[in-house]
Amino acid sequence: MNDRLVIVDGVRTPFCKMGSDLAPLGADELGRIAVNALLTRTGIDPAIVDEVIFGCVGQPPDAANIARVIALRAGIPKSVPAITVHRNCASGCEAITQAQEKILAGRGSVFIVGGTESMSNYPLLFQQATAEKFSRLSRAKTFGQKLKAFAAFRPKDFQPRIGLQLGLTDPICGLNMGETAEVLAREFGITRQEQDEFALRSHQRAIAAREKLAEEICPIFPNLNFATRNPQSTIVADNGPRENQTLEALAKLKPVFDRKTGSVTAGNSSQITDGAVALLVMSEKRAAELNFKPLGVLTGYAYAGCDPSRMGLGPLFAIAKTNFQIADADLIEINEAFAAQTLAVMRGAQSEKFAREFLRRENPLGEISIEKLNVNGGAIALGHPVGATGARLALTSLKELQRRNAKRALVTLCVGGGQGAALWLERI
Amino acid sequence: MTTIQRTIRDNGICVLTFDRPNSSANIFDRATLDELREQLDFIENNSQIKGVIFVSAKKSIFIAGLDLKSIGENSSANEVREIIELGQNLFNRIAALKIPTVAAIHGVAVGGGYEISLACDWRIASPDRATKIGLPETKIGLLPAWGGSTRLPRLIGLPKALDIILGGKTVASKLALKLGMIDDIVPAENLVAFAAKKIQQGKPQRKNHWLTNNALVVSVISSRLRPQLFKKTRGHYPAVTKALEVVTKGISKSVFDSLVLERDAIVELVQQDACRNLLRIFFLQERAKKLSVAKIETKPVTRAAVIGAGVMGAGIAQWLSAKNLPIILRDINAEQVAKGMSSIAKIYRDGVKRHTFSKNEARDGLDRIYPAPNEIPLRNVDLVIEAAVENLELKKKIFQRLDAMAGDETILATNTSALPISELAATTRKPERVLGIHFFNPVHRMQLVEIVAAKQTAPEILQRALKFTQQIGKLPVVVKDSPGFLVNRILMPYLIEAGNLFEAGATIENLDEVMLNFGMPMGPMRLIDEVGVDVSLHVAQTLAAHFGDRMKIPAVLGKMMEAKMLGVKNGHGFYLHEKSEEARPNPQVATLVQNQTAAGFSREELQERMVFLMVDEAARCLEEQIVAEPADVDFAMIMGTGFAPFRGGPLRYADSLGAEKIVGAMENLVDRGAEYFAPCNLLKQMASNGKKFYGN
Repeated sequence: MNDRLVIVDGVRTPFCKMGSDLAPLGADELGRIAVNALLTRTGIDPAIVDEVIFGCVGQPPDAANIARVIALRAGIPKSVPAITVHRNCASGCEAITQAQEKILAGRGSVFIVGGTESMSNYPLLFQQATAEKFSRLSRAKTFGQKLKAFAAFRPKDFQPRIGLQLGLTDPICGLNMGETAEVLAREFGITRQEQDEFALRSHQRAIAAREKLAEEICPIFPNLNFATRNPQSTIVADNGPRENQTLEALAKLKPVFDRKTGSVTAGNSSQITDGAVALLVMSEKRAAELNFKPLGVLTGYAYAGCDPSRMGLGPLFAIAKTNFQIADADLIEINEAFAAQTLAVMRGAQSEKFAREFLRRENPLGEISIEKLNVNGGAIALGHPVGATGARLALTSLKELQRRNAKRALVTLCVGGGQGAALWLERI
Repeated sequence: MTTIQRTIRDNGICVLTFDRPNSSANIFDRATLDELREQLDFIENNSQIKGVIFVSAKKSIFIAGLDLKSIGENSSANEVREIIELGQNLFNRIAALKIPTVAAIHGVAVGGGYEISLACDWRIASPDRATKIGLPETKIGLLPAWGGSTRLPRLIGLPKALDIILGGKTVASKLALKLGMIDDIVPAENLVAFAAKKIQQGKPQRKNHWLTNNALVVSVISSRLRPQLFKKTRGHYPAVTKALEVVTKGISKSVFDSLVLERDAIVELVQQDACRNLLRIFFLQERAKKLSVAKIETKPVTRAAVIGAGVMGAGIAQWLSAKNLPIILRDINAEQVAKGMSSIAKIYRDGVKRHTFSKNEARDGLDRIYPAPNEIPLRNVDLVIEAAVENLELKKKIFQRLDAMAGDETILATNTSALPISELAATTRKPERVLGIHFFNPVHRMQLVEIVAAKQTAPEILQRALKFTQQIGKLPVVVKDSPGFLVNRILMPYLIEAGNLFEAGATIENLDEVMLNFGMPMGPMRLIDEVGVDVSLHVAQTLAAHFGDRMKIPAVLGKMMEAKMLGVKNGHGFYLHEKSEEARPNPQVATLVQNQTAAGFSREELQERMVFLMVDEAARCLEEQIVAEPADVDFAMIMGTGFAPFRGGPLRYADSLGAEKIVGAMENLVDRGAEYFAPCNLLKQMASNGKKFYGN
């Protein structure tokens, strides 16, 4: 039992919609703020950290191996190594489970893990052909050569490729993530109404949980990039949840991915968001030596692959690989990539047909009760900073277990590219 | 043991390496100059030598210039003349060598250290932060007299040279290169190899600055600058005007004649009080940098926490973070912390604008701050500095809490400016680890820190705090725990008297003008505005509670508080502070006080009344042994309040007048009914026995 990973404490920045409050801050800055606050509130000596592991999906071009940038800027000693991990939407989970694997391998006992994403700062890219023209221009020596190279540019060369859009499109099946959700909506017969109702509940729950969520949030204080806009203001809360959200308003939105016959809208999809999460994790033994009372322990986890065009079903494959049953969970967090996708997971979990056909087992996985599911809202309201979400779900569910005096939580995410992640967390 | 090592390379290049034994610095004292003479004798008589490179073996100093002790208090005019002449002659011999010469500068090259470089054909420098180049002489009441005032204007042109010399500036290599003060920047490790290349190039052809260095421009510049300088110095700093005169006159003369001007000028300056006092301050600063109270090895502070994110707390946190320390900044809620973070960010942003910090340094500095809006563990901090609101009961509660939260080794310090520290210490389990570390506002500009020893403070804690102060580049003075400690206590009677005089009819402008003329950086009314009427009143009340008979608070301050005139912080005080324009006296204040009798005080009277109260309070501090010696008082007042540096501090100033005169004037005022002017016993004794604070 000594080698089990415990989560000692955790903290996150507010989650803010792309292009809003956190837009001036890069992903490294967000990560730094989270780690800075984590060190402050735990009071640990940063020198005892064995490694920093951070998830990030769209690493900023000016912060390669962003985990290292975050570690140094947060005041972790230079001698402590850092690694950035990428498992798409489960990158934040990957950071946690890599720490567990390192503990088991005897490669350290204290880790700072987490995830960060600034979707506001995803770059715009030049097209390959344009880039070639630029490179020709820079190699041109004589005036004549330069003129010639310059003349080769056309207006369409300056039409950027949007980094975010590229990242959200599966390179294998060619579908956008939203289109994969449309596939599930069709195959599982999930109506627009059901999706919108699910989305509304996410907002209502997140609004009701504001004070609870505040416990896991560190304020963002004025700094060099920030104060010019907002001299003395502090950002203390998520700005995704909408207090006055109504079903009618949701119903008015046009489908984004299949404009004629689709049902997936901006309103029943996760929000595109900036934010970062940092967790202090240790081996159970080390935490005891240091006299910490951890939030909880990681008791099982699995990653599984599935069809990229049905990536939303990933959680079912991952849960099936773990050593617990859905019924064992007191709380369940399924990342709300799309309402349609989460509803599909709920149906798949109860379907015998699905169990036999895809999971090669007789019995279905079990019922996912809406009473246990995403009780403080999910990514439709709070947003989904892709690299950070996995760690956020772990933190949010552990805090909620504590509040409810409950035992076990299941955290699961679908992963772009056709994967699922599932983590089992328990209070000690 | 010699300072200068000579090596001759195969290619005939002679490298003279300066490496003063048992020291981290190179300086030019008598012995080093003699060594240099022997080296030049050798070089001049050796035709095999193809070039000379001057280089330092020290980590952060090339050559820090003339050993100031050799022109200090105990040296006669003749001795000064002799050592200046000696240096001038040696540097002239370097300039006259037929072979190329290179100064390869890594580290500080100031004063004589840069002047020897100016005598070389080439100057190259490392890009390191330690490398600083310039002529700071006017800052200590001198002028560059080893050829600096002569050679620099010939090298870079008159206007730029005047800017460096009159401003007493030292600059980083990058700027030095831009100004033409050096020729190239190369990494420290490659300096000598690159210098050898320069020697291969032979002697340089230098630009002739005929466009600026001609009689017409000289007369225009000097007629423009002279009144400007006067306005700034009010005639108190003769070195600056003298330097202007020497540089502008010298430019049209031969190098030889210009050097004579330099020499005569410095001999004249060192005999004047202004220069002597400025030199003394320099030595006192050096003393403070090495000050020690106990021979105990102490661990450096590696992590600290500041409690309270107000003006002082934020200022302290900013300064410490800029000095590479991780700092927890704690206040009671996010809003308070945000205010602090905002003002810290502003200091860093301004610093970037002023090139004090690079953008990355500013970012790293801010990254080192750990904002804490909630209670947090303090186990791993070496030092906590409390800078909460000045309220004894509140501070007692904070100290009890800190006592419980902090590790056993943690020093608990307060930044209080007047409250009794022994009482705070008494509320904790381990009172011996409590003391005062009192910074002055604005923290990033004021160099002085009062280290306040409470009755219970352990010597090793005091020593560690002292070393910490030096570690962060501040200048400590150790004082006893007594109301107002040293600086605020001496300053307060002065501010109170300014208020009294205002109530008696003196005008705001007059009061400030008189003290500016005396040599203060800011008049008393303006100072109250800057500090804040509320803060001033609070300190005054604390002091009045102890020294009530001497320090009766003028009513105007209380009335200003009621009328919400708080000074700079809200734009209204004795002055109106509007962003767009210069502050102008606030006519509203006069209406607050009834009995303005428009009494006609002479300027002399105003000055005497304000200054003599300061002198008296300073003498009382000595009497009560708040500090150990007169130099501590003078040093603290100059570094902590900007007390006219050229006057050497309140006690040095008292010596220059004689106690008899001061006591006479004060007793005269007592006779006229102003009893609070009764001089202290020490002054009265000194008046009767003719003694001085500084020997006789």
